[in-house]
Amino acid sequence: MTTVKEPGYGFVRNNALSLAFGALFLITLVGQAISGVADFNAQQVTDGLPQVGFLDYVTSSSFAVDVMENWQSEYLQFLLYILATVWLVQKGSSESKDPGDEGPESDKEQRIGRHAPVDSPAWARIGGWRTAVFSRSLGLLMGVLFLLTWAASAIAGWAAFNSQQLGQRQDPVTFVGYLGQADFWNRSFQNWQSEMLAVGSMAIFAVYLRQRGSPESKPVGVAHADTGQTG
Amino acid sequence: MLAGAGLLAALLTGCASASEPDVAKVATAFEDPSGDAQARCDLLAPATLATFQSDSSAPCADALGDVQLPGGEVSSVEIWGGDAQVRLGSDTLFLTRTDTGWKVTAAGCQSRGQEPYDCEVDGP
Repeated sequence: MTTVKEPGYGFVRNNALSLAFGALFLITLVGQAISGVADFNAQQVTDGLPQVGFLDYVTSSSFAVDVMENWQSEYLQFLLYILATVWLVQKGSSESKDPGDEGPESDKEQRIGRHAPVDSPAWARIGGWRTAVFSRSLGLLMGVLFLLTWAASAIAGWAAFNSQQLGQRQDPVTFVGYLGQADFWNRSFQNWQSEMLAVGSMAIFAVYLRQRGSPESKPVGVAHADTGQTG
Repeated sequence: MLAGAGLLAALLTGCASASEPDVAKVATAFEDPSGDAQARCDLLAPATLATFQSDSSAPCADALGDVQLPGGEVSSVEIWGGDAQVRLGSDTLFLTRTDTGWKVTAAGCQSRGQEPYDCEVDGP
């Protein structure tokens, strides 16, 4: 059971990490919208076309694809990392389980079914399909969000691509045709590769480097070979 | 998931289909040989108008009669974002949305397959 060190913490301090990143997300999304409309309009001027307003831009396929192509890759990153770390280890990394612990582990280790303590979530205790689903709910949600945002990226990308085609005096393509276009795959791969680099780097850097006080790092004095500790 | 994707698709295509009559009307009026020449020139996007007059070395209304624009019935309209394509008779036109309505960016266009269309009237 988790020991609550600060029982007097209110909602904000108890949820500071989620709230801070929620706020940063909104600020940076607005930043993307402001810089995006400026960039879009600079291209419009170059092409001798009328500039668009802020509202028109943030409801355009151009903005939608730029947002969605990044979201889908983030959810893919977390999906793959969540699933890969079940079966793959990195000796010495705070991001990894100990070598030898690969796999979904026993019910006792996972504290489910009859091994569940009294404060376990109901679906962890109940057994059957509900425990099976709840046992994979984090990966399932990330997978669903990845597919949803990738689909949205494909649809918005299709609309933006066709708008660009017409601007260049070329024919628009069908949705299936767009899925075969280099534009769609280039947008996908250029985001995916950066996510794979980020998680791979983190897994190995966490073996040899420390960030004092961060649970993403081992405690500063822990040996490089020590795996799975967080500080 | 599919609902979200469907909503996005409906948003993108729904907005587009609402503009189809306006786009078709501008394209038809521009290609109408019996229409007032100056009124037809007013349907050109500014950059296209400037390029056309520069290339023709004449005011648009004077030069327009020398261009082969066959006119005819609208057979299809495609709208994507602020850009549109209209097939009209044997001709193809491209339009853009402006604050003052849809304007023609290129007309008298013939397909060259994968290459951009070859247009009698076009922008820079």
